Amino acid sequence: MVIAEHLSRVFDERVAVRDVSLSVNAGEIVTLLGPNGAGKTTTMRMLAGLILPTAGRISINGIELADATAARARGSVGLLTEAPGLWERLSVRINLLTYARLHGLPDPARRVEAALADVDLLDRSSEIAGKLSKGLKQRVALARALIHQPRVLLLDEPTSGLDPASARHVRDLILGLRSDGRAVLVSTHNLGEAEELSDRIGILKTDLLAFDTLASLRAARAGGRVVIELEDRTRREFAISDVAEIPAIVSRLAGEGARIIRVTPEERSLEDVYLDLVGEER
Amino acid sequence: MTPRPGSGEGAPGFSWHRVTALAAKDARELLRNPGAIVPAIMMVFASLLPLFLVIFLVPMVMGRTLEQSGEFTEAAANAVGRIPELAGLSGNALVQTFLFHQFSLLLLLVPIVSATALATHAVIGEKQSRALEPLLATPISTIELLAAKTLTPFLFALGLTWTAVGLEVGGTIAIGEPGVWRAIVGPRLFILFGLLGPLVELASLQVSVIVSSRTNDPRSAQQLTALLILPVTIVFVAQLMGLFIVGPSALLLGGVACAVLNAVLGWVGVRVFQRENILTRWR
Repeated sequence: MVIAEHLSRVFDERVAVRDVSLSVNAGEIVTLLGPNGAGKTTTMRMLAGLILPTAGRISINGIELADATAARARGSVGLLTEAPGLWERLSVRINLLTYARLHGLPDPARRVEAALADVDLLDRSSEIAGKLSKGLKQRVALARALIHQPRVLLLDEPTSGLDPASARHVRDLILGLRSDGRAVLVSTHNLGEAEELSDRIGILKTDLLAFDTLASLRAARAGGRVVIELEDRTRREFAISDVAEIPAIVSRLAGEGARIIRVTPEERSLEDVYLDLVGEER
Repeated sequence: MTPRPGSGEGAPGFSWHRVTALAAKDARELLRNPGAIVPAIMMVFASLLPLFLVIFLVPMVMGRTLEQSGEFTEAAANAVGRIPELAGLSGNALVQTFLFHQFSLLLLLVPIVSATALATHAVIGEKQSRALEPLLATPISTIELLAAKTLTPFLFALGLTWTAVGLEVGGTIAIGEPGVWRAIVGPRLFILFGLLGPLVELASLQVSVIVSSRTNDPRSAQQLTALLILPVTIVFVAQLMGLFIVGPSALLLGGVACAVLNAVLGWVGVRVFQRENILTRWR
């Protein structure tokens, strides 16, 4: 549903994103991780058809993104921006109704009801947006991103600044989008959230440093270890680069007469992988 | 394919449906924003006050008619040959019509000031609430966005301007000398507020929108766009001093100049309102 190939974006002299290739399939959640200024929002904006790449190719729902197709592409993507960006003097309903009309939907009032139902906010539709809590505003913003029933959702830091209960609610909504068969790209700083939500993870720092499933990311990064506990309560540790190495180690020890009582592979956490890739201090 | 960066356009044709959807939203927001509406409405009364003060209140307080007070009698008599509306009038009616003629230019401040007050809030309000990015993520084109951001303040300010003109004419009918209102309602008034007023207002709006893209404080934008007030004030004062009379042909010439200015401002506005500029350069 989303294909980006060799995307680059330069602002004046500054390279914001360089040679990024990624894809998001229907019914899949892909998470983009990266430090501040890594190019996550720029990538999101390019994929949403808001800004065009300096180089590279984007295909959204089969639409090749270009000057002439950007508006059509925007119409087929739902973008949740980092700030809810609601019209705070207006009611929730009027906020959404305006977007339904901007998308040219045939029955805007009905679509507003449906989008509010999607985020469990039907009973708050007449409230003034500016008076809602941050968590509720984020849910209204999500309803706005869903109003035209896009098959592709781009969610820029969807739980940033939310309390745990609101963040949980938003994460459940995102998981529901995957169940609906939508392609979802999420950018976040929250590694736990990435682990919970993602089918695949991209780690971005201007360049896309890695893009794979969580298990593969962990396995592919050297520095994991396996701890083997022996009958005499001694522990032996072995550095491994892949869990596939463990059976050979166990066989060798057994061959040497060791009486093994427990084998514990200690995979590297996503945090280890992330910090290793982006080169930041703990 | 390597797309051309910069324009980020591609809306499938100009859609009035999208323009009116956003303009209707702006109208609802303006009505809930006293900070924008009140200064615009105040300007209507501020522009009418000097006229009614001079024509009605001062003679009432001093106990003499305008003709008897003498300040404007000579100027009015001298203008008879140069202002067609004064033909056939005499006495107090002549002086009142002369003053209405002179002070009507002051009403041009209504479209300038009210358009500025309304437009700066319409653009800067979006920036402050960070609502522009989700808005730009819809199929709306930047031309449609610019049109929508101009339409609501334009109609509001035009309504206020015509209200001010209506109050002026209504005041003349109610408390002016007989025949005065017939003398002032003519081609000059229609050119002034049917043509020049909307053109000046549009220029003011465009300047406001362009300046608003570079600031986050409506007052800063309003201070800069207040520069448009200066030429109107200079012409008003010069006319009051008797240096010249601004007749229909001078107003038409002003209209042409304003139309050219609007074309230039429109060209600049479309560039300022490019999607990428809004997202990456507007602060």
